[in-house]
Amino acid sequence: MLLTAIVGTNADFSYNRLLLQYMQKHFKGLANIRIVEIDTLPPFSEDTPADMAVWRFKKAIQLSDGVIFSTPEYDHSIPAALKSAIEWLSYKSEVLKHKPAMIVGTSYGPQASSRAQEHLRQILASPDCDAYTLSGNEMLIGNAAKVFVDGNVTDRRIQAELEEYFVNFVKFIDQTAEGDDAMSMHQPYLDDAYINFPTGRLSFREVQQIFSTIPFEIDLIDHNDKFSWFSNKPNREHVRSVREIGEGVEECHPPKALPIVMKIINSFKDGSQDSVSRPLMMHGHRVLIQYYALRDVDGSYLGTIEFTGSVEHILNFYEQGAWSDAATGASQTDGTTGASEHAETAPDETPEPKPKADSSDGTSGASEH
Amino acid sequence: MKFVAIVGTNAKRSYNRMLLHYMQNHFDQATITVVDIQGIPMFNENHPETDPEAVVELAAAIAEADGVIIGCPEYNHSVPSPLKSVIEWLSYRLHPFADKPVMIVGASTYPQGSSRAQLHLRQILDSPGANAQVFPGNEFLLGQANRAFDDEGNLKDSGTIDFLTQCFDGFLDFVAMHQQFKKGDA
Repeated sequence: MLLTAIVGTNADFSYNRLLLQYMQKHFKGLANIRIVEIDTLPPFSEDTPADMAVWRFKKAIQLSDGVIFSTPEYDHSIPAALKSAIEWLSYKSEVLKHKPAMIVGTSYGPQASSRAQEHLRQILASPDCDAYTLSGNEMLIGNAAKVFVDGNVTDRRIQAELEEYFVNFVKFIDQTAEGDDAMSMHQPYLDDAYINFPTGRLSFREVQQIFSTIPFEIDLIDHNDKFSWFSNKPNREHVRSVREIGEGVEECHPPKALPIVMKIINSFKDGSQDSVSRPLMMHGHRVLIQYYALRDVDGSYLGTIEFTGSVEHILNFYEQGAWSDAATGASQTDGTTGASEHAETAPDETPEPKPKADSSDGTSGASEH
Repeated sequence: MKFVAIVGTNAKRSYNRMLLHYMQNHFDQATITVVDIQGIPMFNENHPETDPEAVVELAAAIAEADGVIIGCPEYNHSVPSPLKSVIEWLSYRLHPFADKPVMIVGASTYPQGSSRAQLHLRQILDSPGANAQVFPGNEFLLGQANRAFDDEGNLKDSGTIDFLTQCFDGFLDFVAMHQQFKKGDA
């Protein structure tokens, strides 16, 4: 279980940070707690575009199973810095939606941020946040300077309270996850149904397993610019999460990459391009990313597919001279898989239009005999 | 009388700013200076021993004024972080809100008119660090603010204008009463 713990202040020294560090250590057998800081985020403004720090912060929340907020109290409410962070998470974003949340807090005085915690509960319950905050459990650690000794909580009563709350939170996450369809996505919904193609039929199970087997991974951005599907391939180059399904293009790409991605998608939409190839190094090997306009039979735009895979084995063949006798090779490879390999590599050499023709070459070649 | 009116957001487009400008133009019993908070950085207690220039200036303006009006939008059922940040600065080293009469108004495009943010703001201003004298009752909640103003920035509905006037008159009395009390005190 991966949890993200938000330090609710931008101050250099904070007992709330110490509390989270203590929880990280104390509960390491139950959960992997990752602590994130909010002091690198820009102050929220509707007019400020989200930067890389905001994007990373949102991703951390999105990809975790739950969130822990540790909040100080400033003027009977949560610090502006924390409010600003929550505004980033909820403005044109749904990363907090139905996300299990746990609120803790500590302060010098005996009140232990009680009023700030109450405000935070109200804020997280607002429709734009819609987090699932665990109710009925509170962690109010007053007199922090006495409670924390070398970063540890030694008071057994406080420890026990925190342990009870945390176990309840872990159970709460498990219960929440059970009702979450996203977790059962390993199987297609109708595994005994068939799709009848003009060229034969496939069961849904076969379709899924084909996507899991071919040595390239596929991601689909649908015609509404939403990330709608990714192939369930083991050891993917791009690690995707089902939590990202349904996100807009602008959410699932870092701000740095967004302009390039939008340019590609727009060129597919207006028909000026049908494919784009990007060779690059990933995880220490050579990878080719190919974007294709996904079009209906009438040419209308259905979406963009990102086709990504390691080309290391193909390049190894080439480097070992696999196609060096290309002139005579044509007749030799005629009846083998060589024909379709040629067809597949064609779009990389000519990234200009006509990839539809290229890809249909591949299939017609195979059906010739 | 002299009032400072704080626009409770850093957004370029704000109905709360329009509302404060309307009050500035409409009420001649007081001089209202509308102040924007874009220039004030996020509150941070690590900030070196002095406060940012913009904070010091705003604190001085508030200290000189007879009262403060805050136009408060609502973000996530609470006060926008830029406004909260300003109050944190003004309750840290400097305390210009202490004993200062404050009137809260607010606008939103939904029917509630920032009602929940206004309640939080009352609680925040009531904390010992701020210690403001918040004008009780008289909730001015301008809902559907996108339809409330004409092209010149004037409120269209006469009932709304009457109620705002009633609230403002009440605030003038509240400030006068407060000053009377202070004088008696001295």
